[in-house]
Amino acid sequence: MPDSSRRNFLLAGLAVPAAASAARPFADDQKHAAPLRTPVVSSGEPQLRYRILGDTGLKVTSVGFGCMITSDASVIERAADVGITYFDTARVYQSGNNERMVGAALKGKRQNLTLSSKTPSKTKEAALADLDTSLRELGTDHLDIWYLHAKTKPAEITDELIDAQQTAKKAGKIRFAGVSTHSGQAELIPALTANPHIDVILTAYNFSMGQTLDPAIAAAHKAGKGVVAMKVMAGGFRNTKPGDKLYNTFKKDGALLSALRWVLKSPDIDTTIPSMTDMDQLEENLKAMTGGFTKSDEGLLARQLERIAPLYCRMCGHCDGSCAKGLPVADILRCLTYADGYGQFSLGRERFLELPAEVAQVRCDSCSTCTVTCPHGVRVSERLGRAQELFA
Amino acid sequence: MKALLVAQALLPAALALLPAQTPSCELVPGWTRQGPARAYEASNLFEYMDGNAEGYLLYGFVAMHGVNCVNGGDSILIDVSEFADADSAYGMYSANRDLRLPAEKLGAGGQVTPRRVIFTKDRFYAELAASPDKDHTPALRAFSAALEIMLPGSTAVPAALAWFPADGQKSARLVPESVLGLRLLKRGYVAEYEFGKAFVVQESSPEAAAAVMEKLRARFGVSGDPLQLTDRYLGRLCFMRKGSYIVGYANVAEGHDPSVLAAALAARVP
Repeated sequence: MPDSSRRNFLLAGLAVPAAASAARPFADDQKHAAPLRTPVVSSGEPQLRYRILGDTGLKVTSVGFGCMITSDASVIERAADVGITYFDTARVYQSGNNERMVGAALKGKRQNLTLSSKTPSKTKEAALADLDTSLRELGTDHLDIWYLHAKTKPAEITDELIDAQQTAKKAGKIRFAGVSTHSGQAELIPALTANPHIDVILTAYNFSMGQTLDPAIAAAHKAGKGVVAMKVMAGGFRNTKPGDKLYNTFKKDGALLSALRWVLKSPDIDTTIPSMTDMDQLEENLKAMTGGFTKSDEGLLARQLERIAPLYCRMCGHCDGSCAKGLPVADILRCLTYADGYGQFSLGRERFLELPAEVAQVRCDSCSTCTVTCPHGVRVSERLGRAQELFA
Repeated sequence: MKALLVAQALLPAALALLPAQTPSCELVPGWTRQGPARAYEASNLFEYMDGNAEGYLLYGFVAMHGVNCVNGGDSILIDVSEFADADSAYGMYSANRDLRLPAEKLGAGGQVTPRRVIFTKDRFYAELAASPDKDHTPALRAFSAALEIMLPGSTAVPAALAWFPADGQKSARLVPESVLGLRLLKRGYVAEYEFGKAFVVQESSPEAAAAVMEKLRARFGVSGDPLQLTDRYLGRLCFMRKGSYIVGYANVAEGHDPSVLAAALAARVP
């Protein structure tokens, strides 16, 4: 696709003529803080837990604040007042309105906080323009972390974008460079770990995918990268609808905390950024900071996993290249998801028929054993067979 | 304007080939589709817009249909999202419009900039974005005008917006969950003014609204009806019930009486 990607789409027209700059200088002690490697510490009331964000030395609460869907600035303001120290937004959230709200909510508190935003742009010029807009909207003269937004493969981390981040660093507009990723982490995180220009990795990470990602995340952490977890509630909770088998279970107070606690128990995750829309959620998440992962949590998450595991391909990339017949397993399972999961048979078939002919002709029942194993428990050969039956 | 007239003339033929909510590059002469049309539902929207999907889901996103259109070196990306109802689609629009820029009467409301158009009509929310970086306004207007005709339903704005006083109003929007950051107030409209913010939350029945009022009293530890208090974050505020609705004002500046403002707002709510 030419320069008409979804991310450029989201950005087009967002920038408006600059109002008078509301930038504020940041505290020297923060700007020049020496990297620290300190253990978890705690304070008094409310009880907070802090971790050090890799080699950045940034000391952040283990539960941060994902501002993406927050509607009322008062929740962000209160979170800062009770001691949450890390706030995350992005250029594209609510077409830029989110950055403006976050900036207003944190006015006067900036110097004590770690603030991050993201750019979806693909060129240096566009990315740096995004950064200037982000700084203006947030009312600050620097970001602590500036992420390249939602990358899925190493090739997307171009020299041009790395150069944009380095340029911004030298100009004092950002302190640390990061990359955010929601999918393809199996390949991407090791590449980011090996990249000396990347300081922080923001990755989707939750109980439904953890075992696969754990080695890559541990290696990244060991290499000194700051690791931030998002999508920690495993979206399925929010999307569970009335009538779904476990709707009542997951909607009850405390259920979301199980998912958050699962992430927090990892020593390789430096902080998390769950979305919060209200004060109650904020209070609950604060509790998660101090409460440990319990048997009850484990049981709740196990039930959710049991429901989704056999069918749901997480597109982690673990199975890439493992089919003896060369099938692109994740791509075919995605076709099936269109049909079975979303009721879009025609779309699923259309995508299936776009596969190379030699791939589309393969039939799984011609193999006596399947070489593909899914670490999440997806019944791969059964699902591939169904796709071939439906679409071929 | 000429492009718009041509687009309108061609519209019936184009419409005959399409589901109601699917955009087409043929809506404007000279443009052709690049690549396959796309369709997403709530469960797989993240595949298209990882990193921003939750912003749609929050407003009751149902489905999205989109195409990429090209004409010479120019391209326009068109996505039409369907939401559960017109209020939700308008909510999505109001969350994404830039309050510093003028709105237009495009559908129930829209915004046009040199590279981007957003507008809402009934339960649909349309987004058009053009590249490369230059003024694409004529083409964007032609597409959006054709889409406005194509999309079924009403161009009326949500009735609740009329309840808020227009004088001095800076914005009015649907908050899809946790109005004022309070989980008790599940979904409602909020209008911002220099002197504070007004809100209207609808419950399923007068009894349900009364129950929420009781919970608010318990939460803030204050009695009375209307419920008046000062909160560290919500400032001087007042909650008042009228039938199935809970109305009020928050963050009210000195010199204004929250209970008087709330009573005036309640009088406008049917």
